[in-house]
Amino acid sequence: MTLLDINGLKTYYRADNGWVRATDDVSLSIDRGETVGLVGESGSGKTTLAKSIIRLLSDNAEIVDGSINFDGTEVTELSDKELRKQIRWSEISMIPQNAMNGFDPVYTVGQQIVQVIRHHEDGTSKKEARERARSLFDELGIEPDRVDDYPHQFSGGMAQRAMIALALALSPSLVLADEPTTALDVVIQDRILDTIKEMQEELNSAMIMITHDMSVVSETCDRIAVVYGGRIVEIADTETIITNPRHPYTLGLRNAFPDINDDDQELISIPGTPPELVDPGEGCRFAPRCPFAEQECWEETPEAESYGDGHAVECHRADEIDHLQEEAGKKETWTEQDLGRPEDSQSDQPEEVMLDD
Amino acid sequence: MGLRAYVVRRVLQLIVTFWAFFTILFVLFRMMPGDPTSMFIMDGMTPEQREQRIAELGLNEPLHVQYVEYARQLLRGDFGQSFIYRDPVIDIIAVRFMNTIVLMGTALLFAYLIGITFGAIMGWWRDSRFERGGIIVTLVARSSPEFWVGIVLLSVFVFWLGWFPSSGMRTTGGELGGNFAARYGSVDFLRHLFLPALTGAIAYLATPTLLMRSTMLDVLNADFIEIKKAEGLPERTVLFKHAARNSVLPLVTVMAIATGSAMGGSVVIETVFNWPGMGREMVNAVNNNDYPLAMAAFFLMGSVVIIMNFVADLAYVYLDPRVEYE
Repeated sequence: MTLLDINGLKTYYRADNGWVRATDDVSLSIDRGETVGLVGESGSGKTTLAKSIIRLLSDNAEIVDGSINFDGTEVTELSDKELRKQIRWSEISMIPQNAMNGFDPVYTVGQQIVQVIRHHEDGTSKKEARERARSLFDELGIEPDRVDDYPHQFSGGMAQRAMIALALALSPSLVLADEPTTALDVVIQDRILDTIKEMQEELNSAMIMITHDMSVVSETCDRIAVVYGGRIVEIADTETIITNPRHPYTLGLRNAFPDINDDDQELISIPGTPPELVDPGEGCRFAPRCPFAEQECWEETPEAESYGDGHAVECHRADEIDHLQEEAGKKETWTEQDLGRPEDSQSDQPEEVMLDD
Repeated sequence: MGLRAYVVRRVLQLIVTFWAFFTILFVLFRMMPGDPTSMFIMDGMTPEQREQRIAELGLNEPLHVQYVEYARQLLRGDFGQSFIYRDPVIDIIAVRFMNTIVLMGTALLFAYLIGITFGAIMGWWRDSRFERGGIIVTLVARSSPEFWVGIVLLSVFVFWLGWFPSSGMRTTGGELGGNFAARYGSVDFLRHLFLPALTGAIAYLATPTLLMRSTMLDVLNADFIEIKKAEGLPERTVLFKHAARNSVLPLVTVMAIATGSAMGGSVVIETVFNWPGMGREMVNAVNNNDYPLAMAAFFLMGSVVIIMNFVADLAYVYLDPRVEYE
């Protein structure tokens, strides 16, 4: 059953030289209880996409087009007040990257959990809310008495657990987790991810897991959406993305992460930098860094093509999967390519674009 | 270390600070050129009379004897006798000191209440017309000399509109109440207080406003502000309960320091509004080499600063749970 249905979403940022198209024509739907990973580099627009869902955008950002349907409610049309009452935290909550900074340092963690419970549930007494905070702590493996501690008294891992307690305090149907384990060491990372999974299954909450870490998504997510240049370039179930991806960028991402079973594996990074998102123009946004880019890729923005079972890819050459997968596994494919637009094609972009960096 | 140990240690530090302050004050005054008789030479004082006067005042004693004697007096709460008025210093100064405290305290209170509120809103509405206008108004207020602001207020509210009395602390012939509340709580007094306090408030408004605005800008970038918004809390709660509450911390210390400059700076306002405060008395005492009176005045004003800093430190512990007692 569909919980969230995003259609043709465009969230742009105003900049001096035009609109930054951080999320450009993105469609995504999520079922109840499902976990979807958003994977991509920094600046690819994955956080903007997630924040658009609760309209938690900075003043210079705007949802210029598209719809966000959450459980029958059109989020883009809600007033600020309705948004605060009906959507924020009661239905959609979030877990930030660094939990320590996610709490207000001058109040105890308990006070902050109590505040949000009582704000959304009239008639809940302070005592009841506090009791709930304590039992949440208990479930998440934190000593209940620590609700009276201030955020700075927690260790990183404990703070992250406390943050999960805060995020789940109102049993939301969707949790936006923005790199929830990036700030933690690997051992704790794993435990936190397990905790999140357990709690989420218990509450049957859906989750959007934002990360640039392939290993995190492969462990936790049902489906993975690969985000590049403000677009979802490939989406499929986790198994398919890991074993049988079709987009060259996904192939490149896979190369950049170590496989624990393969001692001889050489990590290959994707050369170049993420694209400027001001007036990106026509053509595939990955073309400048893509070893397989052809004339067509520079001239025409690829449409999403379906490859069955919810597997969709935005690539002109996705049909040549066997060839691509083989070539993409070789280091020289990535290192020996010419970055940027080939000489022979007609350039409608001024040369100094390259000098901007 | 617990809170109690921290307080005890701060109290001990307070005592040491007081001692150091007192010693420096003593030495500074003895190092000043001239002595209390300089003023009377014009009156045809003979050298013998002068010697005699100096001996009377105890100024012929060695410095360390004078120092010990003065310290002993001070511990008993006795500021000695004024050289010039020949009255106990405490009688001359106590009431004036209270008058200054009430005037400048009111001015600072308003400056900080208004400044913190407006600074918070200016930070919240960054790049708005409100913020830009606010900065200009604040800077104008900051750059205007106090005497000029005082004169402008006088000409508008007193001589033009006639809403407030022009000078002094109470209407002549008015009953001088005995207790504190009657003295400083009457409508007549408050009417007299309004303009000089406003002058002070305008002068001191800029620091809290601009500081509050800039710390707000920092705090608003913090992750927890975004989380509080995501929690669906109303803007007012996020603004005041979270953003402003965190931004106010550095202002506590600044306010303690501002008290000092306010105490010293009161002389201009007191002159413009003919306020019977301590500022002018202090200037006269220094000019006359009236050591006991001048030292008492400086001592009291310095004490206010030291005590305010002490209070600020304790307030900080209460306001910011992250403060370590170390």
